[in-house]
Amino acid sequence: MPRMIARRVLYGFLILNVMTVALFVLVRMVPGDPVRAQLADAAVSEEQLAELTAELGLDAPIAVQLGRWYADAARGDLGESYALGRPVTEVIAERLPVTLELTVMAVLLGVVVGLAAGAVSAARRGSWIDNIVRVGAALGLSMPNFWIGLLLISFVSVVLGWLPPLSYRGPTEDLGTNLAQLVLPAIALAVGLSASIARMSRSAMLDVLGSDFVRTLRAKGSSEFTVFRHALRNSLIPVLTLVGVQLGALLGGTVILEQIFALPGLGRTVFEAVGNRDYPLLQVSVLLFGFLFITINLLVDISYGVVNPRMRATSR
Amino acid sequence: MTERSATETDSAARAGGAVTEPPPSGAGEIPVETRGQATLRFVRTQKLGTAAGLFVVLLILLAAFAAVVAPFDPTEQNRNALLAAPGVGHWLGTDDLGRDLLSRIIHGARISLYVGTVTVVVSLSLGVLVGLVAGYIGGAVDGALQALIDAILSIPPIVLALFVASLLGPSISNVIVALTIVTAPRFARVARGEMQRVKSEDYIEAAVVLGASRARVMLRHGLPNMVPALTVVASLGFGNVIIAEAALSFLGIGPPPPQPSWGLMLSQGMMYFELAPWIVIFPGVAISLAVLSFNLFGDALRDFLDPKLVR
Repeated sequence: MPRMIARRVLYGFLILNVMTVALFVLVRMVPGDPVRAQLADAAVSEEQLAELTAELGLDAPIAVQLGRWYADAARGDLGESYALGRPVTEVIAERLPVTLELTVMAVLLGVVVGLAAGAVSAARRGSWIDNIVRVGAALGLSMPNFWIGLLLISFVSVVLGWLPPLSYRGPTEDLGTNLAQLVLPAIALAVGLSASIARMSRSAMLDVLGSDFVRTLRAKGSSEFTVFRHALRNSLIPVLTLVGVQLGALLGGTVILEQIFALPGLGRTVFEAVGNRDYPLLQVSVLLFGFLFITINLLVDISYGVVNPRMRATSR
Repeated sequence: MTERSATETDSAARAGGAVTEPPPSGAGEIPVETRGQATLRFVRTQKLGTAAGLFVVLLILLAAFAAVVAPFDPTEQNRNALLAAPGVGHWLGTDDLGRDLLSRIIHGARISLYVGTVTVVVSLSLGVLVGLVAGYIGGAVDGALQALIDAILSIPPIVLALFVASLLGPSISNVIVALTIVTAPRFARVARGEMQRVKSEDYIEAAVVLGASRARVMLRHGLPNMVPALTVVASLGFGNVIIAEAALSFLGIGPPPPQPSWGLMLSQGMMYFELAPWIVIFPGVAISLAVLSFNLFGDALRDFLDPKLVR
């Protein structure tokens, strides 16, 4: 197990470096001058433009720029955002928690609702509840999350006459406001996840309910509750896998939902940075998405061992 | 839809595979299903999937004949019918510029299906090529390709597509480029897995011993064997591409206005929800129905071919 983890960490590190280089080269190969993008319509002479370009180090060959980026990064300096004029680390430190909070809320919501729906559906197989869950899951997987977000905010504002507070507050500043702002986007984000979890846990539960050990449990007179508990625990592994698989869609979903709900998160940062050709901020924010994806998937893999003791023994 | 009846569908997959790869002659009389018989059995066993498939066909026809079917010009503005409610004349109502929503949705299907088709076809070709090579040759080539694929797949698809499309500028072809970059690695991964699975089979070894070239082994023996798996991922991938296209359009980096892209219609209608909820409801329904039908069709196909084929 420790060897497997070490190998996975090393490989993740390698992947991150492939990403770093690819992103770095890609943004600089595509037409579009970051200096002009920052200055917008301000009248500047060609000389001033060249001077600014040199100041930002953008006149050097790409390989040299990349080398400098790595050298700086090694010292903990990720550069300064062109558009905001602040260190990238500072901007990220502000915005990452928003996206993380949103994602965690969505995962919790999705897992709880999905597992409950899947379990009930499997236990009452063929009933009207089962049918509702299955139709609901198929629908939930087909609706774009930003549309759900739009419908939610529209419904809430028109029918209930309530609008989430506009200017963002962190959870430590004002927890009530913070939750009020995040609940709708979190629901919108959770729909797809809970739909796929409901599906997966339903079929996993059905598999377990038909297995020998469940028959033995019933034969020795265990209550239905005990049977249910065993079945649920055994269907947790595919659910875990699914969270890992769906993570990309989940993190990606934050980009648009943060846009709709005016949340200053990482997704919105990518959107703004790419528009401004804000190379330093863009590089780090996209990389961070990759880092999150790789890290969480690694954690998912490690947690298999916790959920399923068999894997501890057999894993390479 | 995801009911498991492993034994029945398993043998079906083998029979289905045999359609493209005829059994060696003289191997006894193995009953082989023709393509027509297989289709009939699909229609009989996968009713929901068939209905979904028919809906896809309907959508394609609507998109193809949009100019004839749509009651109005999708960009024609009508000042006498701004934000008109759904009713006779404008079946789904009009938007803030008095444009007929039904006509815009029908024309929007053209964009979605066009982007979806081109993206899926190009991604499939690229992905299969990379997957075949990585899976068959293995070694360092495989390692390098795997690292690249993993790097791409570790960035959330929307983030990467947004990154690429936004750098390139808003246009349909740039959206296709961006979505292909996101989609092709997924197909490559499936193709690689299938190639690896097939690689150790006896008939591949036989072909190698008989002196078949690498290209011949990959294309003649590897490719036909991954058709079932690829059909399923392609169908499911189509739905994802449609959603992603809508998302990019929604963010304003899809095809520029006045083109009636579904995602753009949603973002433009956002501020009129209170006055005219239909502007936000119908394009979303269109996206969901299109994606739903591709998903249901893909699910049915997977169950039909082999439930264990693709997760």
